[in-house]
Amino acid sequence: MLFNSYSFIFGFLPAVLIGFYVLGSRRRDWALLWLTAASLLFYAWWRPINVLLIAPSILINYSLARALEQTGEAKPAFARTILIAGIVFNLCFLGYFKYLNFAESALNDAFGTGFVLTQLILPLGISFITFQKIAFLVDVQAGRVSRFSLADYGLFVLFFPQLIAGPIVHYREMMPQFRAVPCRYDPENVAVGISLFFFGLAKKVILADPMSQLVAPLYARAAAGGAQSMTEAWIAALGFTLQIYFDFSGYSDMALGLARFFGIKLPVNFNSPLQATSIIDFWLRWHVSLTRFLTAYIYNPLTLNLTRKRLAAGKPIFGGRNTSVPAFLNLLAMPTILTMLVSGIWHGAGYTYILWGLLHGVLLCINHAWRLIRPRIWPNAKVYSARMAPVGFLLTFLSVVAAMVMFRAPTLSATLMLWKGMVGAYGVTLPAAVFSRLGPIAGWLSAIGVQPAWTSGSLLLTAVVRIGCLLAIALLMPNTLRMLAAFEPAIGVKPDRTPSRVARLFTWAPDGAWALGLACIALAGILSLGQLSEFLYWQF
Amino acid sequence: MTEQERLAALTQILSDLLGDDSITLAMDTVREDVDGWDSFTYINFIVAVEAEFGVKFRIADVESFPNVGAIVKAIGAAAGR
Repeated sequence: MLFNSYSFIFGFLPAVLIGFYVLGSRRRDWALLWLTAASLLFYAWWRPINVLLIAPSILINYSLARALEQTGEAKPAFARTILIAGIVFNLCFLGYFKYLNFAESALNDAFGTGFVLTQLILPLGISFITFQKIAFLVDVQAGRVSRFSLADYGLFVLFFPQLIAGPIVHYREMMPQFRAVPCRYDPENVAVGISLFFFGLAKKVILADPMSQLVAPLYARAAAGGAQSMTEAWIAALGFTLQIYFDFSGYSDMALGLARFFGIKLPVNFNSPLQATSIIDFWLRWHVSLTRFLTAYIYNPLTLNLTRKRLAAGKPIFGGRNTSVPAFLNLLAMPTILTMLVSGIWHGAGYTYILWGLLHGVLLCINHAWRLIRPRIWPNAKVYSARMAPVGFLLTFLSVVAAMVMFRAPTLSATLMLWKGMVGAYGVTLPAAVFSRLGPIAGWLSAIGVQPAWTSGSLLLTAVVRIGCLLAIALLMPNTLRMLAAFEPAIGVKPDRTPSRVARLFTWAPDGAWALGLACIALAGILSLGQLSEFLYWQF
Repeated sequence: MTEQERLAALTQILSDLLGDDSITLAMDTVREDVDGWDSFTYINFIVAVEAEFGVKFRIADVESFPNVGAIVKAIGAAAGR
């Protein structure tokens, strides 16, 4: 079931909420059980067979976690074996569904063979669910989780607002909430929930989806080997960046809102990433819960061990601005690139995703290297950040947009074709209709190499207006987290101490004006539901 | 070594790492309070602290130190063992 469907908004959600509040007024545990059962139904809706896959996986993980808890610190070696078995089980589960077809086609490509296995269909949200289960096992082994029952664990894994596309949550931030939540109707939670949900729906169906129709033909043409002029290549690059931006931002808002209906707060997942002034900053704002997971479970343990080993071997370790090149390569560059490689593979089974991950890894390394070198060249950190923030923003923005082309383009050659187009290798074009109306300017333009093109003038105009509006929203407006900051829309979000004038203008309040505004947004969103389209992140 | 001396040592380590001499840490400082003290720098900071004081933290503890004060106290506890 899609969040952006009539059956979800007018059928499933109201029914689950009424049941939850009614049962909650009698017994809390019944309400939570109802929520778990509803989540399972939500998961089964798309393809009932999925339940046969997720249910055994939950039972096996639960048994392993129980075993880990009982072995505890008494037999650390045995506990370690159980943990490794659990991680291997979950990765194999993911690998089988997500990467088998990719491995098969890669083998066929490499050896010219023609093996054909059944085309496996990816169980919904499997990448998110798998990471969450692994995190849980690690947390149990580390003693960060105490006291859990099968009902607790089932609800933690299945809770439908974050089941399909995150945020990837930790047991220790969810379970205390489930234990404390009153399971009753609460006007504030419903008001905040409904606002977040419809903000998200509008972002998805009004801002993101129409962009997809605009850019899809451009990527299809690049994949078919058609060269793109600078104009078209930039529309493709910016258009897709904004499409995935509002798609994921909208999804994240909807997840926050849905959880809030039940009195639950989810962690921050999306925080105006295009406003980032460095690539490091970008990854602390885009898909925050994935960055948090990768940092905690891959990057940190890896770096910690590597650094300790180097230290024990008597080699120099990371020393801030005095860091040696080998220490940088071993302790920062290598773990960073490896972590981002995992991120790329996690996003999808395909060369372009893997290369996209590697590219971001390299960009992060450049960013880290610059942070080490910069103080030698420009010692005053305050003056540096004040003056260079716009440059940092521009470089980050261009890198992110260029990398997004790789994320979207179906093949590497299509990516290269579009990149070449973006730097002007295939010239600059304007629609013939525009060209003919420019009078004398047309002569100057063709003198500097601008060509008339097949694209229609209205298409270009639509693209420019849409991209301009979406960019303005992404770059200039306070995001939903800031607008609702007074009501803690996500875990740990606090109001600004000194809000700007724009921020004050957009501060959400439970009053008549906002009710009217949100009703319009909700109506516009619901009326645009016609063309169903899946969330981009649901395929991961 | 007192807690204040440990805190001063931590401040020095972080200043060196970030190349920013204006940093002042307090017991209740959290990572978000310090510009540029992201998760990447954090782990390097932890290892530098381990090296400086000759202690070794558990990875689970490293993940869950709530503030600088918790690190100062953990060093004290580890050194006391």
